[in-house]
Amino acid sequence: MTAVAAARQVFGLFANLGRKTGKTRVFAFLGLIPVALGVVARAVLHGRTGLMADVSTEILMVFFLQFYIVILSLFYGTSVSAEEIENRTLSYLITRPIPKGAIVLGKTAAYAALMFAMVGISLGVSYFIINAGRLGEGAIYVTFLRYLGVLALGILAYTAFFTFLGVFLKRAIIVGLIFGFGWENVIQYFPGSTQRFSVVHYLKSLLPFHPAPSGLASGGRGVALLLFRLEPTKPGLAILALVLITAAFLALAAWLFRIKEYLYEE
Amino acid sequence: MSAVIAAAGLSKWYGNVLGLNDVTLEIEEGITGLLGPNGAGKSTFMKLITGQLKPNIGAVTVRGRRVWNNPGLFPAIGFCPEHDVFYEDMTGREFVSGLLRFYGYSKAEIRERTARALDLVELTADQDRLIRGYSRGMRQRVKFAQAVAHDPEIVILDEPLSGLDPLGKRKLIRLIKDFKSQGRTVLVSSHVLPEIEALTTRIVLIHQGKILAQGDISAIRKLIESHPHQISVRSSDPRGLAARFVGDPSIEKMTFEADGRTLVVETHDRDAFFGRLTGVVLQAGLAVDEISSPDDNLQAVFEYLVGK
Repeated sequence: MTAVAAARQVFGLFANLGRKTGKTRVFAFLGLIPVALGVVARAVLHGRTGLMADVSTEILMVFFLQFYIVILSLFYGTSVSAEEIENRTLSYLITRPIPKGAIVLGKTAAYAALMFAMVGISLGVSYFIINAGRLGEGAIYVTFLRYLGVLALGILAYTAFFTFLGVFLKRAIIVGLIFGFGWENVIQYFPGSTQRFSVVHYLKSLLPFHPAPSGLASGGRGVALLLFRLEPTKPGLAILALVLITAAFLALAAWLFRIKEYLYEE
Repeated sequence: MSAVIAAAGLSKWYGNVLGLNDVTLEIEEGITGLLGPNGAGKSTFMKLITGQLKPNIGAVTVRGRRVWNNPGLFPAIGFCPEHDVFYEDMTGREFVSGLLRFYGYSKAEIRERTARALDLVELTADQDRLIRGYSRGMRQRVKFAQAVAHDPEIVILDEPLSGLDPLGKRKLIRLIKDFKSQGRTVLVSSHVLPEIEALTTRIVLIHQGKILAQGDISAIRKLIESHPHQISVRSSDPRGLAARFVGDPSIEKMTFEADGRTLVVETHDRDAFFGRLTGVVLQAGLAVDEISSPDDNLQAVFEYLVGK
């Protein structure tokens, strides 16, 4: 069986299994937060559209971009190998006629698809609740697709990185938490090229333009601070950077998983 | 007969702990029992021959081909791990068919093989129940089913009989013997001598990571019988029971345990002791709570072989 065919089979197995786990139920429940936020925002807006709806959508994006996809990717990405070792089920997979790398790639893809479904549903429902008054405007659909694309790229890049961490380290969650909520939240605001060492910098570079914090007083868009980027990378380059991050860390994870042997704790 | 599995100077250690020490061994077609106490290195050896671990020194081959990172070899191997672990949110059918996906079968063939494997272990009626709801015996059987569903030429079974009730054990022993009659190679590990004895006469004794002896089980039996067996009898009147055995030629030694209710007997002739015990208990009207022979004296044989 070729690596691609094997990865496809692994994908099928874990996409099905991943749906049923308790972890998925918990994280899907977490996806209700922006929906609730959307309902509240809608009630506050009283049908008004325009700036307030934009601000509410930005709050949503802060939640998705800087919390939801990071926490999802952290827990699913690191679990690609860690849960097999902790649950001692790895023996069932690595004694099959498939390349070991295909296990990592297939399972990561399955979990990424699962996360994308959770994020997509949550974003879709909350976004259209907030923008319910503008359903006739074509622009909101374009913005929605743009947001969805950014989140998909974010899921892929973060999941690839956290999968690599899970394969490489024994206690990857701690390092992942520090990276996801420490490094990423700080480095992105550093001037110069330092900000480019964060994934979120490239994701924010793909979002629709927002005024700099100096516009706070005049525009009242305080939330812009959270989505603010100092020196955005050009969209084409940002997409390329995210694709490269994803490919590089997936390749590293697959290679490491192939050469490493895993011992169960007795 | 050529060796199906061959290990040459095989060593494996975990940090400072030696798992396997300079093992050279050839396993031929038929059933071979790998016998040793817990922690002897049985599972390490099995993980090495199924490519889950990489040898530190030496080599292990299956049909002359190296095992580590050689997935092309795995259609020929079926492995049943020791641990009672599963993808708990799957049904028995999903578990077996899910793992069959990796052999390149068509969907129809996966369905057919799954049905056949589950039928073999008598789990057809429970195939759509979640594994987390299975009894210990059912879990052992579904684990066995996933190991044989692809009709492997070589079946590696790590403690497959542990946790099964006597009836379940008998059924699984019959299944394993059927594999032998089909010309396959089966390697079974256990720390219980009678279990291995029920399966095969060809055994490998392993202790502290070393192969102590290999060959016919009868020689091992003789060794075991040359050492006294320990039998514990918990009763209402252990001292009265002991008094009735004083002078019995089959008894080597009698001691009492700290609980004051257990008599520990050492005997060279287990059958004679049990024969007499039944009569004594009935005659004296003693209430016996428990009779056990903790290690079937296997430990004594290992200690003898390592010269302790």
